[in-house]
Amino acid sequence: MANNKRGLAGSVAVVTGAARGIGRAIAERLAGEGARVACVDISPARLEASVAQMRADGLDVHAYVLDVARRSEVHEVFQRIEADLGGPLATLVNNAVWARYQSIEEIDEETLEQMLAVGLKGIIWATQAATAQMKRRGAGTVINLSSAAAVMGLRESVAYCAVKAAVTGLTRAAALDLGPHGIRVNAIAPGMIATPASLGKFDQPTLQARERNVPIGRFGEAREIAAVVAFLASADSSYINGALLMADGGLTIAGT
Amino acid sequence: MQRLQGKRAIITGAGSGIGRASALRFAQEGAQVLVTGRTAAKVEETAELVRAAGGSAIAMAADAAVEEDVEAMISRCIAELGGLEVFFANAATWVGNVSLFEQTVAQWQEVLRVNLIGAFLATRYAGRHMRAQGSGSIIFTSSVASLRANAGDAAYSASKAAVNSLAQVAANELSGSGVRVNAILPGLIETEGTKALFDAAKARGAASRLGQVNPLKRPGQPGEIAAMAAFLASEDASYVNGQAIAVDGGVSSTHPFGRLS
Repeated sequence: MANNKRGLAGSVAVVTGAARGIGRAIAERLAGEGARVACVDISPARLEASVAQMRADGLDVHAYVLDVARRSEVHEVFQRIEADLGGPLATLVNNAVWARYQSIEEIDEETLEQMLAVGLKGIIWATQAATAQMKRRGAGTVINLSSAAAVMGLRESVAYCAVKAAVTGLTRAAALDLGPHGIRVNAIAPGMIATPASLGKFDQPTLQARERNVPIGRFGEAREIAAVVAFLASADSSYINGALLMADGGLTIAGT
Repeated sequence: MQRLQGKRAIITGAGSGIGRASALRFAQEGAQVLVTGRTAAKVEETAELVRAAGGSAIAMAADAAVEEDVEAMISRCIAELGGLEVFFANAATWVGNVSLFEQTVAQWQEVLRVNLIGAFLATRYAGRHMRAQGSGSIIFTSSVASLRANAGDAAYSASKAAVNSLAQVAANELSGSGVRVNAILPGLIETEGTKALFDAAKARGAASRLGQVNPLKRPGQPGEIAAMAAFLASEDASYVNGQAIAVDGGVSSTHPFGRLS
């Protein structure tokens, strides 16, 4: 659904972790609404293939290989994006994550550090790099991908639950810091979304049991998260700030 | 933007403020709207405004907390507009700037009747119709007063907390039906309902202090709530269900007592 009335047309957006899954769906949706989208990903091969496909579909998307955990590289690439795409950043979607699922007894130092580096530090560095551009622009929106795991415990997912809860905390605090500059900061909490990565983690009986627990009766699709991101990126959400929007089919309100 | 093309929506409390802004927004996005409220002249005016903007609207004087009226508005929407896909239960009342210790049982009964029983009736009747057709979106207007104290009077705040609970229970009972139920929690919005507060602040020369406790440092406008209602009514929100969503400039994400430093 392309439209030009929500203020995204011609604006510059960055989506991290954009090569696949939810990140790719977000890039497609924002570009579909007319944004010029910088697609950031750590994997050159996956990113180039995805961006080539999106460009073949007529979308104004551009590839930037970047490890968001590296602060100086994030700042450097964000400056390059502004120069390349011809304007300061209007929208930042912090979607990149590196996740492994371990219990409290199993978790090791290397895994935990890598999860914090991408899923927590990466958001802070990218938001920091975006803030300078958004302040010059006088407006901007930052959208962080949290998770239903931020508000409910999941087995063998200690680091994941912790990282996603941390995202909600940094979202609220950044909203306070940046609100006076006209920059809104919000988070989205997807529930179980049917991407190859998430479906591949479970066997069929487990998937069926999990799907039954969602009040809406089904897993979500990546495009349904992208639609919420587009709303938070648009002027339609102009009074929403510091919020955690659940997009989970009601998963976290059910007592099962 | 025509996200609501082909949808038929009922909006209660549509004579002014958030309800009127939502009627205009829904119609702008292609919905046909049935606008209701207790004061015929005001809902007629809303319908006229929708038509003047090129939209399609029916006005109906009705009490959103009277069972027969809710049944009648749904029947009329289906008969005259051809169906019902969205019910925005927005009608509300409050006691006002009166301490809990001065409020009466009669005042509480009226606030609970309009705010809570109105939302219940919307869910019961619109939910039945939508469950049978396998799709629909029910939206309640709650309030940030449902989350914490000091944003409304006691009866109002308690009634809105109950509305949040109703959204969760209703979403759960409608599990697997394709019907979504969500609540919007406005913060300080400049409407007819809050006019007295704004006027009093202006009279004190304190207008510039309104909304300063939220990170955006301003009060909101009805159109900003209407935009959220339109989102929840549309397929863009197809996986958003059972939620209480604040549209408050961020006030509910903070402890609004100034900077910690």
